[in-house]
Amino acid sequence: MRRVKVAIVEPSAIIAEGLASLLTQSGEYDVVYVGATMRTLIERFAVVASDVVVVGSQAVVAAAQPLRSLYDELQGVALVALSTTMCDEELLRQFDGVINIYDSYQQIHRKMQSALEQEPSNPYSDSHDLSERERDVLILVARGKANKEIADELNISIHTVMSHRKNITHKTGIKSVAGLTVYALLNNLLDQADVAL
Amino acid sequence: MLFSKDMKIIELIDTDYDLLSILLRLDVQLPFGDISIEQMCRRYDMSPELFLMICQIYAVADFEPQVDQLTGEDLHCIIRYLRASHRYYLDTVLPAIGSGVERVLEDCDHKQGAIVRKFYDDYADEVRAHLNYEETQIFPYVESLIGGRVSKVQMAENMANHTDICDKVDDVKSIIIKYLPESCPTWKRCDLLFDLYRMRDDLAKHTLIETKILAPLVYAEERKLAL
Repeated sequence: MRRVKVAIVEPSAIIAEGLASLLTQSGEYDVVYVGATMRTLIERFAVVASDVVVVGSQAVVAAAQPLRSLYDELQGVALVALSTTMCDEELLRQFDGVINIYDSYQQIHRKMQSALEQEPSNPYSDSHDLSERERDVLILVARGKANKEIADELNISIHTVMSHRKNITHKTGIKSVAGLTVYALLNNLLDQADVAL
Repeated sequence: MLFSKDMKIIELIDTDYDLLSILLRLDVQLPFGDISIEQMCRRYDMSPELFLMICQIYAVADFEPQVDQLTGEDLHCIIRYLRASHRYYLDTVLPAIGSGVERVLEDCDHKQGAIVRKFYDDYADEVRAHLNYEETQIFPYVESLIGGRVSKVQMAENMANHTDICDKVDDVKSIIIKYLPESCPTWKRCDLLFDLYRMRDDLAKHTLIETKILAPLVYAEERKLAL
């Protein structure tokens, strides 16, 4: 059986190496990357191309936003959090599984497997509800705002707006602004008076 | 090659019955008896190479037409086919989908129905405008080029103004499948969806004929006239 390729992002070398050796020894995982920050992983992600990214909670907190909305590279990759410090529940919700540092190999293995099963490689496999941020972006798109205006209004970069828009289209199956407006109206995300349909 | 000139029309249709719609557009009258593709093409004044190429575009996924088998002579016939396709969209496809949309929306809350109806109507208008642009700009240009007349606006410029009409069909389809309220019955949606999928595929093939057959042949003619 093909071994699952894992990338580990964890600033503590002891924890990162500990997890890496636990996974490698089992023979079921290949640890293809160990690093301290998300940014360095993403820069090399085309080469790393892991099936799972395990992210230490410090890095989760540092990113402050859902990782898939920050990095396009992570679409279709299973995300597992490694809980080493206290972390906001809300931020942990983006993960397909959460490993605790006191978990046994068996527990970790189970969590990794279930995260891989949830991995949204098929765009229609899960409910694909829009995230709150995506909904904010969608509403502004439907109101006819340009990417730059949306970025200013939500205080995020244009790159992030574009990444949200890509996710919105991916989730809804709708590309055109007019179509997205219909989606927003049908789902009561905005009122007809708000749009010049 | 999937099809050959010697193939009987009935064999062609048995291979892919969607090709019936091409015969319909070309106004080929039934019955065929046992005539071959070549005989039919002669009867309808069309090059068999072109006819086979069009059939393959429809029947073979990812087919890449090679225009070196065609000549400027075929342009008339390509335009004839594209015009006939336009009539087919305007007279048959769009009205069928329009009434399909109406049937689906009948059971929908009035406000939501109005939103979707407006979206579809706008899309249908875009399609009509797109077809009209081709009829009034692109085709006359090609026809005057065949006649050896030179005009200021060239094909590349014409094609640049050529809008995409395929994406929005997908949007209509996603809305019908995923987001219309439950009150709209599934069987009505399915009837409509069959038509929408067919239209989407047909428009994609139609665009392929324009970009991969018509445009390259026109560019070749422009080069000959040293435009």
